Amino acid sequence: MDVRAHVSVVFHLDKCIGCHTCSVACKNVWTDRPGAEYMWWNNVETKPGTGYPTHWENQNKFNGGWKVQGENQLQLRCQNKADAFLKLFYNPNQPNLEDYYEPWTYKYDDLFTAKAADDQPTAIPVSQVTGQPIDIKAGPNWDDDLSGSPIYAENDLNLDALSEAERAQLFEIERLTMFYLPRICNHCANPSCVAACPSGAIYKRGEDGIVLINQEKCRGWRACVAACPYKKIYYNWKTGKSEKCILCFPRLETGQPPACFQSCVGRIRYLGVLLYDAERVPDAMRVADRALVESQRSTFLDPHDPKVVAAALKNGISEEFIESAQKSPVYQYVVKWRLALPLHLEYRTMPMLFYVPPLLPIIGNSANGTYEHSADRFFTSLEKARLPVKYLASLFSAGNEQVIEAVMKKLMAVRHYKRWQSVRDLAENDVQRILREAQTTPEEVEEIYRMTSLPTQYQRYVLPPLQREEAIQSTCSPEACKGCSGFSLNPALGPRA
Amino acid sequence: MMDAFLFVGLPYIALVVCVVGCIWRARQNRFSMSARSSQFLEDRQLLFGSTPWHIGIGVVLLGHIIAGLLPRVWSSILTVSGALFVIETVGVACSILALVGLGVLIFRRITSARVQAVTTGMDLVVVGLLFLQVLVGLLSAINYRYGSAWSTGTVVPYFWGLVTLNPDMTYVTGFPVLFKLHLVGAWLLILLVPFTRLMHVLVVPVHYLWRAPQLVIWSNARRRREAIEATIQAESRRQFIKGAAGLAGAGGLLAIGVSQKVVGYFRGPAADLEAESALLAKKLHRLQQTAEERALELERQRNDMILVARYADLQDAKGKYFIDYQMAPGLAFKGKDGLPLLISAKCTHLGCTVASDLDAQGRVLCPCHVSYFDVVTGKPNEGAPAKKPLPHLAWALVDATGKVVISKRPGSPPEGSVPAETLPQLSLYITKPPARIA
Repeated sequence: MDVRAHVSVVFHLDKCIGCHTCSVACKNVWTDRPGAEYMWWNNVETKPGTGYPTHWENQNKFNGGWKVQGENQLQLRCQNKADAFLKLFYNPNQPNLEDYYEPWTYKYDDLFTAKAADDQPTAIPVSQVTGQPIDIKAGPNWDDDLSGSPIYAENDLNLDALSEAERAQLFEIERLTMFYLPRICNHCANPSCVAACPSGAIYKRGEDGIVLINQEKCRGWRACVAACPYKKIYYNWKTGKSEKCILCFPRLETGQPPACFQSCVGRIRYLGVLLYDAERVPDAMRVADRALVESQRSTFLDPHDPKVVAAALKNGISEEFIESAQKSPVYQYVVKWRLALPLHLEYRTMPMLFYVPPLLPIIGNSANGTYEHSADRFFTSLEKARLPVKYLASLFSAGNEQVIEAVMKKLMAVRHYKRWQSVRDLAENDVQRILREAQTTPEEVEEIYRMTSLPTQYQRYVLPPLQREEAIQSTCSPEACKGCSGFSLNPALGPRA
Repeated sequence: MMDAFLFVGLPYIALVVCVVGCIWRARQNRFSMSARSSQFLEDRQLLFGSTPWHIGIGVVLLGHIIAGLLPRVWSSILTVSGALFVIETVGVACSILALVGLGVLIFRRITSARVQAVTTGMDLVVVGLLFLQVLVGLLSAINYRYGSAWSTGTVVPYFWGLVTLNPDMTYVTGFPVLFKLHLVGAWLLILLVPFTRLMHVLVVPVHYLWRAPQLVIWSNARRRREAIEATIQAESRRQFIKGAAGLAGAGGLLAIGVSQKVVGYFRGPAADLEAESALLAKKLHRLQQTAEERALELERQRNDMILVARYADLQDAKGKYFIDYQMAPGLAFKGKDGLPLLISAKCTHLGCTVASDLDAQGRVLCPCHVSYFDVVTGKPNEGAPAKKPLPHLAWALVDATGKVVISKRPGSPPEGSVPAETLPQLSLYITKPPARIA
């Protein structure tokens, strides 16, 4: 048993209001630099929709992640060791600027310098790459809130699993269903970007599992951009280096949650330590698609188990870290309550970012134009839900619908139980049956309710002490010197020789 | 003078600047080291430019490198029938491929606004120089056929002359202009490596072939094992720096030597005709001396006997030096029986000349590594560095009329006899050793 600690996160999608505050916070802290304008280390997508970069889920095009080959061997989809060298010259799997969008700004100066005339002066858009005027064709959240659109939403690859009837149901005029999917780097436990980097510049931090790119070692071969199935590694066209979400490690090391967490308006984000068995990770990712979620869960360890604690201590994990793991909201959501699921686990990178799937659209189902909310209706509606279980399964459980149903039943049990407690319009027998069917107890439901609706900031973000004072390498505070974090904002250190 | 600068001065300047510059950049500005791909901004034309260019130039460079570094291997490949034809064809085809690819890349760099946004002045210099270089190379390959064969006798020795600090530009000064241009272009490109994106060639990630797929780095000293390893690393780094400093010192001295030589190379002939002729005269004189010595030696070889000394001059305890047929030193003593005792004076250890004085035990000393040789047996003392005995030499005593009265060959008794009182009138000669049976 090789116990490792991982700073992992849960996004509660029922609580996401799609305000993009997280994206803006991240942009202001990290990517407001030349060459990084188009990057959104944190972005929020509307689902169903094509996402950013467009069609990032299309692995037939981008070939990200791992595939199982021959005798249960994991193999990168994008390259093998030999053809990786040919792909240094031209990588057929790499997305280009068109797949994202051409970043632009406006010629605000024109508003002040225009000569007096009959017409009002305008600030025309100019490309942030070439500086030339451009015709804006796409943006980072171009299909925001456009789930009814046949141009964007219908192209969502996760809809391929659905039947015609289910599609019709989903896109019924005036009863459109959608939800928001905030995405940051998953800081995977079996990262394909690390395995693909020819220079060996990408690494996983041993203490907390954060995946980082050493900007000094990166040579701009771009294999990681192709290898990451979530397209969460971005190529800085100006510096010739790849960049990615760093989970604001300089903030974590000084006891602050990452910028996108701190700024989250809906308070959807949870951060805490998960203990996992690193030895079992490769094997866990070799099983059949349907078994993947369970297989990933089996690698997580109970931080209360004395054996695990002993093994963790032996492995150099501090007592404070273990204590933090015991209080972790992520452990509760992912392992204890089994509510939070990874995104697209079929890419087999074992993401350590988990989503509580959205429940709201399901009770949004209606009959005869009236809003149904009786206990029975909830469950019959699960099969006929506006947002089909199949769709959620293709996002969050590698196609296994039973996993999604179990989560949905438990989420609804929480609602029924709390409604019964406060409104008392449901029969107690029904509520007991619902709890039984969801395989939960009133105590657990109460816990889930408190963690979902009433948590304080310190319950949502259980930051482990990263003991930066003991670390060999440390960085400056991001506010004081962004350039020191390796992205070279100092023009003198730029790539132009 | 111009040739000397282009084919001796420029190469050394280019190599020194390239090596020093690359090390400096790798240490001081690692962040700037990148392939600086622009595929992200424009990928359609890049596919038809970058791939043919890199494959073409890769194959051509490989041929140059093998021929340059392993000329014997290269020549042995060429001896296979048809190999020359295949190599020339592949080389020309790959140059054309590279040239076409580079053409597309240049076109793309000039026409695409996005690519222009990441283009520096140096990029244009490099790409233009590369185009000319490949074009000139291709033209000389077509005009002066079978360069892969004749280069091993011309360019390769020139190159190795540079490497071994013994530059000889006469190998290349007679070349046609096209070829000279190609050589100069190569040195210019090497010179530019540390200042341009060309440096990405040096960081091709070969170690990817054998590295483990996952990479985990522990930055916390809490992990004891890692901490110890880190200490060991730091320690070895310190050792490395010490070693590097030593090497740098040696390199500095070497560089002084080299620069002196290079400067001398340029200054020598032009500076002073008189000094040059004096040097030539000295060389001639030395040659003449060598020739005279050789003549003398031959003359000695022709004689059946060579005079060593008069018998009267021989002593018991102090040997008299002479030169034997092999031009090696020998020693002549008066033996206990009154007859001469001739022994080689060339130590059997490393060839020093042994001393002439006998010690109390009747031995001579080799002063180089202290071996004592018994002159009667020739054997060295126990534990001496020399293991083999000193050989005895054949001799003859000749009277005034030139008649041999007594002679001796090593290992056999003396032939003839002579009364003791007549000995002082005789002269001692060494006799020619019997011809060795091959």
